[in-house]
Amino acid sequence: MKPIALTRKEFIRNSALALAGATLIPGMLLAEEGGQLAHQKVLDGHQGKKSYTLKNVLLETGFEYDGNGNVIATKTGLFSVHIEAGKIKKISANSTDANAIDAKGRLMLPSFRDMHIHLDKTFYGDKWQAVRRGAGGVKGMIALEQQILPELLKNSTYKAEKLIELLQSKGTAFARSHVNIEPTSKLDSLRHLQLALENKKNSFGAELVAFPQHGVYYTDSVPYLKEAAKTNIDFIGGVDPLSIDGAIEKTMDFTVQLALDHNKGIDIHLHESGESGLKTVEYLIKKVNENPALKGKTFLSHCFVLGRLEKAKQQEMAEKLGAAQIGIVSTIPFAGLIMPIPTLMENNVTVMTGNDSIVDHWNTFGTGSVLQKANMAAQVYGQVTEYGLSRMLKLATAGPIPLDDKGKQQWPKPGDDANIVLIDASCSAEAISRISPVGSLIYQGNIVY
Amino acid sequence: MTTPYTAPLKGNYKLKNVLLETGYVSDERGIKATKTELFCIEVNAGKITKIFPNDPKLATAVDAKGYLMLPAFSDMHVHLDKTLYGLPWQAQSPKKRTVLEMIAYEQEIIPELLQTSTTRAEQLIDLLQRYGTTFARTHFNVDTTSGFRSLENLQKALDSRKESFNAELVAFPQHGFFYTDSAPLMEDVAQMDHVAYIGGVDPYGIDKNIEKVLDYTVKLALDNNKGIDIHLHDGGKEGIHTIEYLAEQALQNPKLQGRTFVSHAFVLAQLPLAEVERIAEKLATANVGIVSSIPFGDLVMPIPTLLKHGVEVLVGNDNVQDYWSTFGPGNMLAKANLMAEIYGWRSEFDLSRTLRFATHNTLPLDEKGNMQWPKTNDSAEFVLIDASCSAEAVSRVSPTMALAHTGALYWKK
Repeated sequence: MKPIALTRKEFIRNSALALAGATLIPGMLLAEEGGQLAHQKVLDGHQGKKSYTLKNVLLETGFEYDGNGNVIATKTGLFSVHIEAGKIKKISANSTDANAIDAKGRLMLPSFRDMHIHLDKTFYGDKWQAVRRGAGGVKGMIALEQQILPELLKNSTYKAEKLIELLQSKGTAFARSHVNIEPTSKLDSLRHLQLALENKKNSFGAELVAFPQHGVYYTDSVPYLKEAAKTNIDFIGGVDPLSIDGAIEKTMDFTVQLALDHNKGIDIHLHESGESGLKTVEYLIKKVNENPALKGKTFLSHCFVLGRLEKAKQQEMAEKLGAAQIGIVSTIPFAGLIMPIPTLMENNVTVMTGNDSIVDHWNTFGTGSVLQKANMAAQVYGQVTEYGLSRMLKLATAGPIPLDDKGKQQWPKPGDDANIVLIDASCSAEAISRISPVGSLIYQGNIVY
Repeated sequence: MTTPYTAPLKGNYKLKNVLLETGYVSDERGIKATKTELFCIEVNAGKITKIFPNDPKLATAVDAKGYLMLPAFSDMHVHLDKTLYGLPWQAQSPKKRTVLEMIAYEQEIIPELLQTSTTRAEQLIDLLQRYGTTFARTHFNVDTTSGFRSLENLQKALDSRKESFNAELVAFPQHGFFYTDSAPLMEDVAQMDHVAYIGGVDPYGIDKNIEKVLDYTVKLALDNNKGIDIHLHDGGKEGIHTIEYLAEQALQNPKLQGRTFVSHAFVLAQLPLAEVERIAEKLATANVGIVSSIPFGDLVMPIPTLLKHGVEVLVGNDNVQDYWSTFGPGNMLAKANLMAEIYGWRSEFDLSRTLRFATHNTLPLDEKGNMQWPKTNDSAEFVLIDASCSAEAVSRVSPTMALAHTGALYWKK
């Protein structure tokens, strides 16, 4: 294949033409959601096709460097991309084929993945209500949940579908969703969510974490967790073993054993930011090292304690987490507590992000966009250059990005799953910095919009 | 790129199905929701002339579709004159430039930027308007490279958008008063009627003389009956001294009170609480305000402490997309949202009060929940938002569906 390299000068000329009303002009902006631009859907009308070619697809092909070896821009070119049976079949020189679908010069990126969200208990799609936290901290919140969950569950399938549609509108086609497993919901929260996922299965994928929000033992969730573990859920969850269940080891031992017995991963919410938080991390590292089957599929969500440690201790913990292949899932806190995400990444710790709450009784600020999370990370960690911004895309995709660190094209490749967004940006760096509008989403080859 | 809005409805018209906030709903635990009702609104000659009970059948009225009417948004710190917004994407340079190096860089690129600065200012205004902003306090460069051209080009952009947008102007000696010889230019600009504020930047960091620069700034402001708004990034004792010295000048010159501002004032984020409180007290007494673009990450401004002591706090986007930063959303509701998240303002009441940072202090309800906006005779400067109340609008950064500037009503296409 012969890329049609668009030099920066040509690009500027094209853009100047665009300003004058000629080709490449962005389509009309339709509406704004979450303070971000939404875009005309360029693939509308082509839904349902199984085998098709996209032309005028902008792909990143490399970096442009200055004399000092610094990346100053991203090289891109227009290509044709053939999609068949859910896969990217072929990438070829841009075609003029009248039957090909015109992507209108939009940038193709891997679709986004939200790796920490609660799809099962949201107010989204329902009436607005602000958070009203009472006294009693997390245990107070558990009492509140016991009171409101029966009502919430009544239309939780509908709301989960609405929330999935929000995520899709922001370019997300996959989520790791926690799902409450406790004596109030029993397995209903799981069942309702599974119904929503079934209804969306052609346009959205998910993996599920059985989440004992009310403690494993604080409320007796053991039988429900055991039952959930027998289903096709993917992870055994958990939350703050010491502050909720009163003991780190007992709860963690149960969680680890349940995961091992059923060949599941682990994803524990850990908000405890003091000594107990650190002990929990260390204990989990120990258990994973003892049980290598858990390596690569064990995660700590939030893990705020890492943000409270001295630099040297952060480095030490990052090395240990990296060695045990335990990943960190963070919502990218940006004030007060700052997570040592660059240190984690430097030590090969898998770092992923998610929206967590979108609008619920815990928090009402979730935008649904993981591109926005990557944008916040770029700002918090000073990743403001072309190179730095482009690397932040990893947070939004939780996986592949078009260029590797050396600027070598690594995505898309023939055989890759056709999980794709078309975005109104000239390169990844711009998409991150400007939270560019997503114009199209393709999931497993299906054109969602 | 063009305006996202349709041609305006002007003159005398009525709106029906306008959602207005009418009070707070409380229970034994405090405020839990916001009360709203649908109304009809009459607009005439740029003013709200009548607010009356909703009549969904009123055939002569335009349907506001139940959208929430809020005061239009104001961006209180932006640089409309030197944006790269609308040009091809360009990340910040990997060269780490000091402020003095940035001045040298500006001297190099300003001549080229000025060639298209009117168009780009217009595009940036369009972006702000997309998110419901109809007013900005904009800084414009006054330096030996730009001369008055940055102002002239900006003025053209403002003239072309005057039906839907207006601005107050801050003459901004980005390259110092004396570090480059911009003082004579500033003397001339200060006399111009349409310039409202004398600006400045880091008297210590750039001109190396806090008192000389501030004395000069104060004299220009007093001689020409202007306000003051200076950028202060300097930290440490120099940063503190700059703030205190300016506050002292305002105390001695009551004409400056209420119209003297320090933009950014990052030094306040680096001080112990007691020191912030002492300075906040001084700022409040001198009626000197702080203007912030709401930084986050390592640097979080002590805005709640400033507010507690009665300091006026204004908010703006600052850079939207230029060679200083490429992260500005251009959206004042997004800034209010960011503040609510940073400072933990998440209850119905707190979220609803946070709206004031997007509206330059105008809010539909007072603290007790009494309706205070809109009132008959208020300027018809409003937005229609797809939200059920202010709290939701702030928390969800709800979309702007229409905006009105001095009565001219523009609907989103």
